Amino acid sequence: MLFRPDSRDFRLIGLYGSRVLFGVGLVMLLPAGLAFLWGETNEGWGFVVAAGLTVLFSQGVEWVSHTEASLSRSHALAAVGSAWLLAPVFGAVPLLLSGHYASYLDAYFESMSGFATIGQSLANDLDHMARSVNLWRHLMQFMGGQGIIIVFLTVFAGSGGAIGSLYVGEAREEKILPNVVNTARFIWRVALTYAVVGVSLLWAALLSAGMPVGLGLYHAMNLFMAAFDTGGFATLSTSVGFYRSPLVESVLLPIMLAGGCSFAVHYQLWQRRGFEITRNIESRVLGLSILILFFVMTIGLARVGTMTDAGSLFRHGFFHAVSAHTTTGLATVPGRLYLTDWGVLAPATLVIGMALGGMASSTAGGIKALRVGLLYKGVRRDIRKLLLPENAVVVETYHAGSRRVLEGPQITAAVMILLLWLLLYLLGTLVGLFYGYDIQSAFFDSTAAASSGGLSVGIVRPEMETPLKLVYIAQMVLGRLEFLALFVLAGYVTAMVRGRA
Amino acid sequence: MFTAPSRPVSRFRMLLGTLALLGALAGVVGLSELLRHPHGDVGTAIPAAEGDFRDEIVCPDHPAPEEEVDGERATGPAVPVSSVDLYDCPTLYDGLLVHYQGEVVGALMHRDEGAWTQLNDDLYAGAAGPLPAHREYRGANAGVGVLLPADVAEQVQTVGGPRARGDVLSIVGTFHRVDPQSRESAVIRAEAGRVERLGRPIDHEPLGVRRIVGILLALAAAAMTAAHHISIRREPLREIPKPAASP
Repeated sequence: MLFRPDSRDFRLIGLYGSRVLFGVGLVMLLPAGLAFLWGETNEGWGFVVAAGLTVLFSQGVEWVSHTEASLSRSHALAAVGSAWLLAPVFGAVPLLLSGHYASYLDAYFESMSGFATIGQSLANDLDHMARSVNLWRHLMQFMGGQGIIIVFLTVFAGSGGAIGSLYVGEAREEKILPNVVNTARFIWRVALTYAVVGVSLLWAALLSAGMPVGLGLYHAMNLFMAAFDTGGFATLSTSVGFYRSPLVESVLLPIMLAGGCSFAVHYQLWQRRGFEITRNIESRVLGLSILILFFVMTIGLARVGTMTDAGSLFRHGFFHAVSAHTTTGLATVPGRLYLTDWGVLAPATLVIGMALGGMASSTAGGIKALRVGLLYKGVRRDIRKLLLPENAVVVETYHAGSRRVLEGPQITAAVMILLLWLLLYLLGTLVGLFYGYDIQSAFFDSTAAASSGGLSVGIVRPEMETPLKLVYIAQMVLGRLEFLALFVLAGYVTAMVRGRA
Repeated sequence: MFTAPSRPVSRFRMLLGTLALLGALAGVVGLSELLRHPHGDVGTAIPAAEGDFRDEIVCPDHPAPEEEVDGERATGPAVPVSSVDLYDCPTLYDGLLVHYQGEVVGALMHRDEGAWTQLNDDLYAGAAGPLPAHREYRGANAGVGVLLPADVAEQVQTVGGPRARGDVLSIVGTFHRVDPQSRESAVIRAEAGRVERLGRPIDHEPLGVRRIVGILLALAAAAMTAAHHISIRREPLREIPKPAASP
C-alpha cells in the first residue's frame, strides 16, 4: 500500500537536498572572484546573483526542513534525485546571464550536461565566451563527476552513517572504505593528486604546443576537469582538435582512462597493488573492449579512405575509442566529419563505446564494464551448466578487489539495468526520428546524451526542438543517477497524489 | 512513504508547498531573465540562417576556382570555400588549393613549421560580431584549423576571444582531410594570406542593475545564513543516528 508522505519525509529530503545546493552556491564564488580578477565585471556580478539566489533558496529550505529524524534509504534517494534536478536550475543562472544562451531552457540543458558530465553543449559563440563562465561550465563537470552529493555532504552533513544511502543513490556501486566519509576523502585525495599531476603535464604540453603561459594554464585546468571527470566540455568550439598537438592528446589519454576507472581500482593502485589492473574484471573488460573497438574503428576509417596511414589511424582512432568508451566526449575532429567523412563503421564503434561506458563507481557513464563482465560470466556459467552433468555444481567467480562468487541476483540486476539503459538510448532515438533526423544521427546523439558520452554529430545545437531538449535532459539525469534515485523521487510524487493518509 | 506515516501531510498543505517551491523556482528563472544581458542592436542586416541539419548534403561535381589567385606564392587557381563546404564535402576538396577567410580565435600557436590557429567564418566572426553584444543566436562556432606560414602569422595583431574580436584573415592554401605531415584532420595548410579586417577590443558596458541586485542578494544570503547558524547554535541539531542497515 502506498502511504502519503508525512512532514518528516519532506523535511529530510529538503534538508539534505538544500545542503547540496548550499555547496553549489559557495562554489560559484570561485568563478565570481576570478571574473572580477579578469575584468569580467558583468559576469562576476552574474555569479554573485546566482550564488545569492542559490544560498537564499537553500538556506530557506533548510530552515523550514529542520528535523532530527534519521535518514532512510528512500529519503536519501529522493534527496539525491531532487538535488540533481535542482542544482542545474541554479547552475544555469550564470550561464543565462552570460548572454551566450538563447533561453533559460538552453542554459539548464548546458548546466545539466555539465553536472551530469555529458559534454553536449547548446552554447552560442563559445569561442568568445567569458573565461569565468567557461570555467564554471568545467567546474560543474568537476562537481558532478566527483559526485555533488558525496562532496558536499561530507563537508556539511558530518554524519558518515547517515549519508551512506546518499552515496549509493548517486550511482556509486560500492564503498571503497568502510566509512563513507573516509571514502569521500579518498575520492578527493585521488582527484586532487591527479589534478596536480594532470594539470602540470597538460600545461607543459600546451606550452610546447605554442600556447601562451597564462592561457595555457587556464586551458590545462579546464582540459583536466573535462578529461578526468569524463565531462567532455571544451574551452573552445573545436575541442581538443584546436591544439593540433599529439602531445596534448597523449597526456589526455591516461587522464581519460583514469576518469573511466572506478575509485575502487584507484584505491587498489593507491595501496600499491598494481596487479589489480590485470585481474579486475572491470579493467579487463574495459581494456579489451577499447582495443576491439579501436581495431574495428581503424578498419572502418581505412575502408572509407578517411585515414590510411598507421600514425593517423592510431592517433585519431585510439583517442576517439578511449574518449567514447570512457564517455569523456573530447574530440580531435569536428563532429560533422563523423557523418560526412568517417563512413558508417567508425561512428558505430563510437556509439557502442559510449553505450558501454567506463567502470562502475567512476565518473564515467554508460552500461558500465562491471555489468558487461558479469553478463559475460553469467552466460558462460549457463553454457557450462548445459555442457556438464546435471548434478555438477558450476561456480563462476570474478575479481573485483578480491575474488568473489557470481550470484544469481547480480546477473538479474545487471540484466535489469542493461534493459533500462537500452530503453533510455531508444527513447531519445525515437524522439529524434520523430523530428526527422536520420537514424544514425538520432541514435548517436541520443546515446551520447544518455551515456554521458558527449560526442555529437550535430543534432545537439541551440536550434534543436524543445521536446528533444527536454528528452535529452531527462536522459542525462536518468543516466547519471542510473535510474533508481529518480524512480524513488517519482514514487514520492505519486504517493503525494495517490497515497493514503 | 513505504511505512505508515505518523502524521501525514494534508493534500492542501502539499499543494501549497509544491506551489511555493515552484513559485520560488519561477522567481529564480524570472529574475535571471530580467537580468540577462541587454542585447543591443546589431546595426546591420543579418542574413537568415542557411539550411538545416536534416537537409541532404549535396556536394558540387567540380569546385569552381576563382579567376584571380589571392596571394603571391599560391601555385594555381584557388577555390573559394566556407567551413561548411569543407566539412560537408571533405573528399571533394581534399588536396585542392582553397581560398578561405575567417576570424583568428583562441590562440596563435607558434611552432617550427608555422603557427596553428583556428579561423572562424561564422556569423559571430562576420556581420553580427561576438556575443553577448546582440541576440542573433546562430549556434556553435564554425571554422577551420589553419597552419599559417610565419610571415602571415606575424601580421596577426589581435586574436579573438572573450575580450576581443580577432583579425579576419584571408588565406590561400591546400585543404587536407588528413594532413600528411602533421596528421591533423580537416585543416588548411596556408601558403599565403593577409589581414582583411583588423580586430578590436570588445567593449562591455557595465550592467548597473545586475550589480545592485547582486549586492542585495549577497547581503540577504549572508544575513540568512548567519541567522540560520545562530538559530542552530541555540537549538543544536542532534546527530542523525545511523540507519539500521548498511546500504
